[in-house]
Amino acid sequence: MATPKEMMTTWDKIQPGAVLPSFEDPEKKIRSKFNSYNYKVADWRVEKPVFNRDLCIDCDFCWVSCPDSCFIVEEVENKRGKKQAKIVGINYNLCKGCAVCVEVCPTPIKSLLMFPEFVDNDEALKQWPKKD
Amino acid sequence: MAERYELKQKEVWDGNMAASHALRQAQVDVVAAYPITPSTPIVQNYAQFLADGYVDGEFVMVESEHSAMSACVGASAAGGRVATATSSQGYALMVEVLYQASGMRLPIVMTVVNRALASPLNIHGDHGDLYLGRDAGWIHLIANNPQEAYDMTLCAFKIAENEKVRLPVTTNQDGFLVSHTAQVVEPLDDDTAYKFIGDYKAMNPMLDTKNPQTYGAQTEEEWHFEFKASQHKALMESPAVIDEVFAEFEKLTGRKYNRVETYKLDDADVALVVMGSAYETAMVAVDKAREEGIKAGLIMPRSFRPFPYNEIAEKLKNVKAVAALDRSAPMGAMGALYNEVSGALAANGQSSIMTNYIYGLGGRDTTAQHILEVIKETEKNAKAGKRVTDLQGFINLRGPKLSFN
Amino acid sequence: MKNIGNLKEFACTPDRFQGGHRLCPGCAHGMIVREVVNATDDDLVVSTATGCLEVCSAIYPYTSWDVSWLHIGFENAAAGISGAEAMYKALSRKNKLYNEDRNVKFVAFGGDGGTYDIGFQSLSGATERGHDFLYVCLDNEGYMNTGGQRSSSTPIGAHTTTSPRGRVSYGEKHRKKDLTMIMAAHGAPYVATAVPGSKHWKDLAAKAAKALSTVGPTFINALSPCTTEWKFKPEDTVEIGDLAVETCMFPLYEIEDGHKLTINYRPKNKVPVEEYLSKQGRFSHLFKPENKWLIEEIQKEVDRYWEYLQRREEAGV
Ligand SMILES: Cc1ncc(C[n+]2csc(CCOP(=O)(O)OP(=O)(O)O)c2C)c(N)n1
Ligand code: SF4
Ligand code: SF4
Ligand code: SF4
Ligand SMILES: [Mg+2]
Repeated sequence: MATPKEMMTTWDKIQPGAVLPSFEDPEKKIRSKFNSYNYKVADWRVEKPVFNRDLCIDCDFCWVSCPDSCFIVEEVENKRGKKQAKIVGINYNLCKGCAVCVEVCPTPIKSLLMFPEFVDNDEALKQWPKKD
Repeated sequence: MAERYELKQKEVWDGNMAASHALRQAQVDVVAAYPITPSTPIVQNYAQFLADGYVDGEFVMVESEHSAMSACVGASAAGGRVATATSSQGYALMVEVLYQASGMRLPIVMTVVNRALASPLNIHGDHGDLYLGRDAGWIHLIANNPQEAYDMTLCAFKIAENEKVRLPVTTNQDGFLVSHTAQVVEPLDDDTAYKFIGDYKAMNPMLDTKNPQTYGAQTEEEWHFEFKASQHKALMESPAVIDEVFAEFEKLTGRKYNRVETYKLDDADVALVVMGSAYETAMVAVDKAREEGIKAGLIMPRSFRPFPYNEIAEKLKNVKAVAALDRSAPMGAMGALYNEVSGALAANGQSSIMTNYIYGLGGRDTTAQHILEVIKETEKNAKAGKRVTDLQGFINLRGPKLSFN
Repeated sequence: MKNIGNLKEFACTPDRFQGGHRLCPGCAHGMIVREVVNATDDDLVVSTATGCLEVCSAIYPYTSWDVSWLHIGFENAAAGISGAEAMYKALSRKNKLYNEDRNVKFVAFGGDGGTYDIGFQSLSGATERGHDFLYVCLDNEGYMNTGGQRSSSTPIGAHTTTSPRGRVSYGEKHRKKDLTMIMAAHGAPYVATAVPGSKHWKDLAAKAAKALSTVGPTFINALSPCTTEWKFKPEDTVEIGDLAVETCMFPLYEIEDGHKLTINYRPKNKVPVEEYLSKQGRFSHLFKPENKWLIEEIQKEVDRYWEYLQRREEAGV
């Protein structure tokens, strides 16, 4: 069933009203065990997107289109000192392998490509298509 | 700050006005409501209080009772004191949301001015609406007159909001017979009333947006049973808090309420179970019966939910025959009070002879004389030591005698 | 109002709708919701009607919401949020707010079923009463959570499980209800349409930001292409939404104060509706010879409506 063993409790231990706190420590923004951020949907996938940092132009089309909030972003400063996002990876716990990100990636050789789940990411990067 | 409302020591109020003042004194943060006879005056009175500066909470005049209860749920989950009022069809339209409110353990207070359910349409009092919400997971308190409507509404907030309870509460009063009948009511002054209820104690308020909460999650077969069971337990354990609140109220006002009310029951051979305004009519009938030498008494659950089954059984221990009077069309069964009381007796190995009477549907008059006849019939059972009357009879129904066995 | 600059800036927003929810892979609901809740830095209280979003984002013991969230039922998301908003007003009047230093905004999400149909009364009521909230309809043109039944948003000709194609049926018989215009007719200060995805991301985010900073009831009708029930491949979700705009099946526009209409995107060359219809299994039967007439009818209706929008914009009344 959907609930992992360690989260199973009994009727006398559940919160009245089935109310779920998003954060364990709201001040420090530490998400609670009830936050689906800590749930895994990786097993929904047969193929996974692999990200190629070398080709990426940080257009963030993938970030804005991903329905599962998978793209891991680092805030950096551009040359003019303005903050901007840099994509640094994919959260594979949350990725369902829909391939929307690959579809919207605009670089001439895609910076995101789908690979079978069992292919290791380093291996995938080696197999990346080259410019002809 | 809202203006204080100067009240006299004795006011002449009908049940609606009594409930309205109790809502005002509770300084409810959000009232979301929709008018329906006979509870409309509550909504109107409250609007007038607002217009005159006696209320500084929000008053949301929604477009239906479904939305009234939904807005109450949103407001209550947001984190503040919430109340509403309704009757009959409005109550029926709310039913879905009644379950949602109680399942989320939101301490909403609702005054229900009891009225029959259509069809055929009828605006007068019976308990069809109350019975409809029987299993909705709310506490249901009964008020038999305007004073009680006022008192129960004040108590309702304190019970609902108690952290051991955290359940919504209805206070019920009979349509017209209580809601529109002016009687002397002794109110508390605004400060004393508010102090009795106390400040609202928030639990997981949505408006504490720094600590976000999710309300209304889906619980399938892994969790649903556990939540319903824990809610049931809260209801089953609420009597301790209800008793506590009633005791505190007595200290403050001298008016004593009990989860089971009785009248001349101590030495009674014959008892009637009656709820609502008819209880007071039945008191007159009991007095008459006693003049005629019948040892009759009365019993009423003031909290219809949680149902005080053990207390009722205990109080009926020495009673030979009991007639349960239900003010709602039983539609293919015995009335609810008959079933509850019979169950309570059976559970305790008691064997008073039980019969059921249906009365007062759609506001049909039930006089002391009618009830006296019921007492006399019931006495036949007591005397015979077995049931010699019909199992279910109808009081003051026009036409040939209707009964079931 | 949050300034929705370029996407590089917007992507710095920490997500407030988390993954790990159970929406289908490629579901547009997730894209739309993320953009809306990320379009403000204010705190949020969100209500959601029963439907795919609700069922998938709060399956006990998990929640995908980093903001306060409430689900009551199918037809009362707007009533629920109006209650929460009223409580906010009451507590601020009484100086009893939980966080004096935070601004709180109110948002309701509903599917087309929960908005066009069963929840319409509640939405209309809350809008008329002038509560300060944004309602976002996730319009996937059917009751998808319960297996793809028709709604009053289902377009003519679409196959659904309750308007099925069959030997003598071409599917849905009625044209899509024009809810956006109905909401504008309430006199709501801001009403708009939107689609998810990378091409029109800014249109949606800016509309959400604008709606959230507008005082009073606002409404966004967001087309939400549904891979499962519209029957297209999950990776095509964004493309299908874009095609809805390029064909003018779902034009992007906004209406201010109930009357001032602005078209937000004009396709350079209006793409024929076939392009949009042929990519979705729910319309595949329209390409049979006996149903071709309906495609022509749909094209005519789309042309007529596009013309109407342009004239209204020009008229500026
Ligand atoms: C009162 C009521 N009637 C029916 C349902 C069953 N139901 C749940 S969700 C749903 C359809 C949801 O459709 P929509 O609002 O379009 O949202 P979607 O799932 O398509 O996103 C239905 C019919 C319900 N939950 N409550
Ligand atoms: S495959 Fe889908 S879920 Fe995974 S990162 Fe790409 S868009 Fe997100
Ligand atoms: S869409 Fe492609 S190029 Fe743009 S940020 Fe994502 S990976 Fe990089
Ligand atoms: S059925 Fe459609 S709307 Fe529902 S989760 Fe799946 S893709 Fe999304
Ligand atoms: Mg839908």
